[in-house]
Amino acid sequence: MASTDMLESPPKRNALVSQLLGAGALKKLIVLVLLCAAWEATVRLLHVNKLLFPPFTDVAMRLAMGLGIGAGGSGELWSYIWETLSVILQSFAISIVIAIVVTGLAVSNRWMREVLSVMTGIFQPLPSIALLPMAILWFGFSRDSLVFVVVMAMIWPIASSLTVGFATISPTLLRLGRNYELGRFSMMTQILLPAALPMMISGLRVGWGFGWRTVVAAELVFGATGNGGGIGWYINNSRLFMNISDGFAGILLVIIVGLFTESIFRLIQYFTTHKWGTETF
Amino acid sequence: MVAVLSEVQPDPRSNLVEIDRASIAFPRSRGRGTVIAVQDVSVSIRRGEKFVVLGPSGCGKSTLLTAIGGFIPVTAGEIRVDGKVVKAPSMNRVLVFQDFGQLLPWRTVLGNVEWAVARRWPRNSAGERNMRAMQYVELVGLGPQAEQYPNTLSGGQKQRCAIARAFAVQPEILLMDEPFGALDAINRERMQFELNRVWAAENERVTIAFVTHDVNEAVHLGHRVMVMSRGPGRLRSLVENPSVGSPPHDGAALRLVEELRELLKDPV
Repeated sequence: MASTDMLESPPKRNALVSQLLGAGALKKLIVLVLLCAAWEATVRLLHVNKLLFPPFTDVAMRLAMGLGIGAGGSGELWSYIWETLSVILQSFAISIVIAIVVTGLAVSNRWMREVLSVMTGIFQPLPSIALLPMAILWFGFSRDSLVFVVVMAMIWPIASSLTVGFATISPTLLRLGRNYELGRFSMMTQILLPAALPMMISGLRVGWGFGWRTVVAAELVFGATGNGGGIGWYINNSRLFMNISDGFAGILLVIIVGLFTESIFRLIQYFTTHKWGTETF
Repeated sequence: MVAVLSEVQPDPRSNLVEIDRASIAFPRSRGRGTVIAVQDVSVSIRRGEKFVVLGPSGCGKSTLLTAIGGFIPVTAGEIRVDGKVVKAPSMNRVLVFQDFGQLLPWRTVLGNVEWAVARRWPRNSAGERNMRAMQYVELVGLGPQAEQYPNTLSGGQKQRCAIARAFAVQPEILLMDEPFGALDAINRERMQFELNRVWAAENERVTIAFVTHDVNEAVHLGHRVMVMSRGPGRLRSLVENPSVGSPPHDGAALRLVEELRELLKDPV
């Protein structure tokens, strides 16, 4: 027994690592290092104006200082990250609840299904950032405006993938639920939601991606008006005061946080749909 | 040896299921009118027997089984289980499907059985639930796989798990809809043997209604075999099977297989 355990455990850990980083993690890392080196070399060798395009090392240093790493670091970036994350997390929670309720209604009612399908059709192609001017009109230069546009960005991809998830549940599982006398609520929690989870997770990923882009963009607009305080605002403010390295650091941060949340979704998948063998892609 | 009964002998005490002039029709998917899947079938299933419904595909045998389960209504006649008219699905009539996807993929083998036991007896403690579930998982020989998720099981193991789950909730009747139909020949024979063994291990008190189009399977499993004819599904004949559970090459069993094959041929 012991020997087979030893044989089996290393591949398991590799499976987790590759699930988190995606396939070919080492090659990707090398490509990344090369890209940074190319950036550095281009700026230095071609004598690009640092005010317009700072070299990678400057940006990395500003980023480290902003995050409070090393001597003289202010750590101010953390508060900007948190500001942006708190908006998107709040919007995410609101979107998930609304999407589940609306999709649940759509599953049980023919008219609601059409309403949802038409609404999704209308709002899916609309970049919700286009609603920001109206949102500002309705809610002012406030956090509410941000939450509104982010929710509008997230809710449609989540709802539509949830609809597909519910629609593709095997009739056998539904019969199983009826056989064991599940009521509406337990049918939802014990059969429909777990069975739709693979589609739901990919919907949440897409929704989060949309929301992340939207919140940063919206903060940029707020930054232009000198209000608010998230990463987007920080990027715009850095430009305003010609701290271009800080601006670039902000952009890197947006990418890093995006990648980090992506790996959280991968982690959730690893412990659920990947383990169950119900992954959709 | 083989007695062909011309009609069902009613005995209200020993009959668990009474199908009384049942017809089942579906609306046609295109155009008007209805398709009659089952027409005017009257038959009774005795307590504690393994009752096999045999027929060619499309003869309405699965439809009939699903109606006993309460999943679809009869359009005429009545189906009574334990004297009560069947109206909706119930844990007293558990279906086992052909589909390997009948297990909850997000629960382990043991978890699937525990889930069903918890549905059946919600007041039991987690410990009792676990013990009972484990007992049935071991009964079907899945002890070593108890903590595995269904996606790691073979088709035969999945069906074993489904059978364990169904037996564990002690239904009045177990409805099996070609549960071994998607298995390869070797596994199918093994599972038929296993089903007989599990049924015997449960003190031969579980009533089973088993739908199949496989004549050998019918003879190996059924105390009685009901033969249905196609278009629309009717009761063709009801055959007592004294060679139930006998090895596949037993002489009497082979003769019955031949006889059933003849019955399955469409009347000219």
